[in-house]
Amino acid sequence: MKHLIIGNGIAGLNAARAIRELDGTAEIAMVSDERFPPYSRPMICQVLDGSQPHAKLPLYGEDIYQTLQVTPVLGARAVALDVDARAVRLADGRQLDYDRLLIASGADARRLKAPGSALDNIFYMRTESDVRRQLAAVGGVRQALVLGGGLVGFKAAYGLLKQGLPVTMLITSGYPLAMQVDATAGRIIQEELEANGLSVRVGVSAAGFEGNGRVTHAVLDNGERLTCDLVVIGKGVLPSLDFVPRERVAVDLGIVVDDCLQSSAPGIYAAGDTAEAVDIARQKRWVNAIWPEAAVQGRIAGQNMAGRRVRYPGSLSRNVMRVYGLDVMTLGYANPDTGEGLRTVQSGGKDQGYYRRLVFRGDILVGAVLINRIEQGGVLRALIENRVPIRVPDGVLMATGFNFSKLLH
Amino acid sequence: MSDPKGKVSVTEDGLLLLEKAQKDHIETVWDRHAAQQPQCGFCDMGLSCRVCNMGPCRVDPFGEGPQTGVCGADADIIVARNLCRMVAAGAASHSDHGRDLVEVLENVAAGKAPGYKIRDEAKLKRLAEEYGVAVAERDILAIAGDLAQAMMEDYGMRRKKITLASRAPAQRQALWEKVGIMPRGIDRETSEMMHRTHMGVDNGWQSLLVQALRNALSDGWGGSMIATEVSDILFGVPAPKPTMVNAGVLKKDQVNIVVHGHNPVVSEMISLACISPEMLDLAKAKGAAGINLAGVCCTGNELLMRRGIAMAGNHLMTELILSTGAVDMMIVDYQCIMPSLGKVAESYHTRMISTSDKARFPGMEHHEFHPDNAKEKAFDLVKTAIANFPNRKSVYIPVEPQAAVGGFSIETIVGALGGTPQPLIEAIKAGKIRGAVGIVGCNNPKIKHDYGHVTLTKRLIENDILVVDTGCVSVANAKAGFKVPGAIEMAGPGLKEVCGSLGIPPVLHLGSCVDNVRILVLVSALANALGVDISDLPVAGSAPEWYSEKAVTIGVYCVASGITTHLGPMPPITGSMNVVKLLTEGLEGVVGATFAVEPDPEKAAVFLRKHIEKKRKALGLEARSVS
Amino acid sequence: MKQVVVNPEKCVGCMQCMLACATAHSKTLQLFTAVQETPRPGARVHVGAGRFNEGFPNRCRHCDPAPCQLACLTGAISRDAATATVLINPERCINCASCAMACPYGVIRFHEDPFAPPGQTVAVKCDNCGSRVSQGLVPACVEVCKTGALVYEEISEVMKAKTRQVARCMSAGAGEATLPDGVALIRAAKQSQLAVGTE
Repeated sequence: MKHLIIGNGIAGLNAARAIRELDGTAEIAMVSDERFPPYSRPMICQVLDGSQPHAKLPLYGEDIYQTLQVTPVLGARAVALDVDARAVRLADGRQLDYDRLLIASGADARRLKAPGSALDNIFYMRTESDVRRQLAAVGGVRQALVLGGGLVGFKAAYGLLKQGLPVTMLITSGYPLAMQVDATAGRIIQEELEANGLSVRVGVSAAGFEGNGRVTHAVLDNGERLTCDLVVIGKGVLPSLDFVPRERVAVDLGIVVDDCLQSSAPGIYAAGDTAEAVDIARQKRWVNAIWPEAAVQGRIAGQNMAGRRVRYPGSLSRNVMRVYGLDVMTLGYANPDTGEGLRTVQSGGKDQGYYRRLVFRGDILVGAVLINRIEQGGVLRALIENRVPIRVPDGVLMATGFNFSKLLH
Repeated sequence: MSDPKGKVSVTEDGLLLLEKAQKDHIETVWDRHAAQQPQCGFCDMGLSCRVCNMGPCRVDPFGEGPQTGVCGADADIIVARNLCRMVAAGAASHSDHGRDLVEVLENVAAGKAPGYKIRDEAKLKRLAEEYGVAVAERDILAIAGDLAQAMMEDYGMRRKKITLASRAPAQRQALWEKVGIMPRGIDRETSEMMHRTHMGVDNGWQSLLVQALRNALSDGWGGSMIATEVSDILFGVPAPKPTMVNAGVLKKDQVNIVVHGHNPVVSEMISLACISPEMLDLAKAKGAAGINLAGVCCTGNELLMRRGIAMAGNHLMTELILSTGAVDMMIVDYQCIMPSLGKVAESYHTRMISTSDKARFPGMEHHEFHPDNAKEKAFDLVKTAIANFPNRKSVYIPVEPQAAVGGFSIETIVGALGGTPQPLIEAIKAGKIRGAVGIVGCNNPKIKHDYGHVTLTKRLIENDILVVDTGCVSVANAKAGFKVPGAIEMAGPGLKEVCGSLGIPPVLHLGSCVDNVRILVLVSALANALGVDISDLPVAGSAPEWYSEKAVTIGVYCVASGITTHLGPMPPITGSMNVVKLLTEGLEGVVGATFAVEPDPEKAAVFLRKHIEKKRKALGLEARSVS
Repeated sequence: MKQVVVNPEKCVGCMQCMLACATAHSKTLQLFTAVQETPRPGARVHVGAGRFNEGFPNRCRHCDPAPCQLACLTGAISRDAATATVLINPERCINCASCAMACPYGVIRFHEDPFAPPGQTVAVKCDNCGSRVSQGLVPACVEVCKTGALVYEEISEVMKAKTRQVARCMSAGAGEATLPDGVALIRAAKQSQLAVGTE
């Protein structure tokens, strides 16, 4: 059996490991356009904020491919997939055939199409090299600008602030992390960042950049010119699926997968940021491009590729971050649109030193936002993920003393 | 709290002020109670022992782990010893309070207590006669001096029995002699209790508990009774007076001084200073319309009984009252004063004052009161409180005050009946009043605040059972509106008729927690009038929300006196089913009364009604079946 | 292999296990000195209050596969197959709290620890007292538990005993586990106290 894995992120690696656990003799090849050893992608934020050294990024020893008996094909990007021939063509012209294919090619930063975005000192925040180049550039920077108040922009802004730079953040929506948290939590987080030197501009975006080789100004959509000598663009990510023939493999935003993470084309699987599975909280297909889902999906996809049928229960969006004095955890469908028949409860607030918001559909918990007191967040996540009917009063889940045993009968 | 949104109190002012306190970031007793969960099961069951330094020890209630302490004491002994030490602590507290009053009496007699005086000479003489002090043609202060000496001897000297035990019906005294629990000295019984619970002394769980009965009786018929009687001599025998209760008694436009604690020695002097023209003028000069004295806890009850001073709240309200921001000064003496209060007051302008040489508190200024300086100190403090009035920030008084009548001493009850308890007995015989229950005791965050008190009282009066109350219960019931003559509308037809004809409410406020002895005096009078023992009467006691060691002692002296007593919260005894069975069943055969534990006041009401009907039947009176 | 088995119905909430655990994970290994250490060692078993405020010793289950291990961003969490223990390497931990988000039991805490790099906040949880066990001692929480809520037993024996117990329960009255009278009484009283006035 020949397995081909596109991508050496956590999804690809966990798939390779799962295949190897079940099949000691299968051939496994792994393709990646990054030459750097497999590393912890989320950790680039800690590298940017200076709390961890770049050298700590690699997840395994250099012998990881050897240990897993995987043939690495590095520095090569997949450019075409021939479903009938069961083969993948690489940018350098090489052709790799397979019996089972895993598309774990991850996602790329969403590009900004604006004049001047090719100037020096304009960065994205996706790879270890993005961060390495940002860190090399921060010396002498007087004003940093971050575009976007989502997770990426947010973490970039936090990292640059920790590097001691004055940072301005441009947000098109009303408050930061609007996709993840409600307005109350968003404001608490924004105030914490502002107290530590961030200035936030709401309702504006960058229309272009000016500079002589290196960026010196951003031009806003309202015509205003902002001085800046370092820019990070945080406009989200898109699955890297250019090579996937849409007429043969069903693709929505990501590759549509069944509950074994198999695509519409038999023998082709997807895991990680490329896979569009059912979101448990939303109860519809959704791409949850997050590390822990990639890790689990990779493992389950690998097991299925090796012939053991293992069901994937669905994905759940979630995130946890520490922002100065705040610990912020978001789980599931934490900031739903109104009018969906959902019920929300909240307690705490800025003055109380914590905030908690829970979102229910009927007696099922579907989302949560926690600011501080996050240690029991995993219990809430398990409730959401397993769609456990909640039989205790809301107050029990909200209380300081909440713990696993409060749920036992 | 398993459900923090669940309401922790049945009182409107309590809930509104708790909301205010939370907004002000005040940590309350409920927060601390939640933070203590789970509370240690060994301790909760009475199975941990810290008596000696071979320990600490604990016994596994599941039977697998250790079954004895290092010394070899088993669960029965450890549980009994722990309970006995609670009784000793409770007896010591009330009785030491009594001793302080006797010392004031002694100082008054010696002319060394300016501001204090003998207010009720007739009562002084009655007491003197009971104590065998010569009365005829003697100077009143000389009698007072001798009485103080005689009472002191009840504390310390070796006697066959303490003097006031003679007030009990003859049958009861004979029973005490027979069982060997006639109290011989107030301090002696507490001292002996502590001795017996030392490692290697009394290791019979039954004999330990028998001594606990005697120890409690030394308080009920000794220290506490002396406290009440001497308070009456020094400050007057209470008579019914209208008053007001709840947080609404605080006044936005007046200097608010709140007294907290138990002993009237300090609060009485403060109350005198508050009505002096000099102080009132000073208050007006500071822009206040007057000086408003209010009480919390039992020192408030003492003032309410004798002066009609308003009560702002009971035990669980003491922190919340401060969160009104309207208290210019809180003056405390001792017992049940949460050490958190100083911290709460930091968020407001309130000056916190401690006054007793034996009670200090963090965050309070200490101004020690003694009989010789009390008057001067009281005026100084009131002056300071007035000076603090302009420092108020925002004030939140969430409710209007509730009217109530208090001040029912046994003397005034019997007086209202025409000088004899006979009309009450006739009403009981006729079945108009089925019986009486004394509801006493504290608040406890384990039980929804005041729910136990109010619910039980309501169920009893609507079933024609007269309720007398003391301590924190009396505030709960007054706030619930049971203490106005119109409250007879909430009573059953018989009780309504009797109380209506006497113009009294169906729930009578007998005073502070030391004043539980008034209940002993009342039931003795009823028993004597009927020619029976106390345990034959259709009466019972109840402490639906008790928390303190004093409450344990009160419960034990009630049971030892023949009054079956209900407890709301479970005492720490379940580690020994032998002790549980003795207290809830076995004591019936010893003293004719037992304990019963039932947190739910609805069920407790049924239990108490059944008990009363059973006693009626045994007396040959008409009895109802209760279900 | 012996493992710590939790019998939650026997927990009385005394928190002795927490003190013993923190002491066992201190530098000085004595309660009186451990509380003086900087950083102060923390308990890795957490006695929480259940619905009726009964005690519940919440301890890492050392799941297999472990959700925390799968969620760890840095590979700091690993499984030691020989002792069936999920371990956190404080040198690799970056205090991101991803494991707290993954743990369905809420047993992971974050603080400085005597065995972590100085000054660094890291994820801390039960390590099955590996250093004690290697010296022939039982885990600290088990050693101090007086009620049998935490026991150290052959897992195969525990499974067999549990199977027998379940099998017996199939026949009514044939030996269901019953609580001692006093324990049943205090639990009933506590439930009743909490319920008072809530209906």
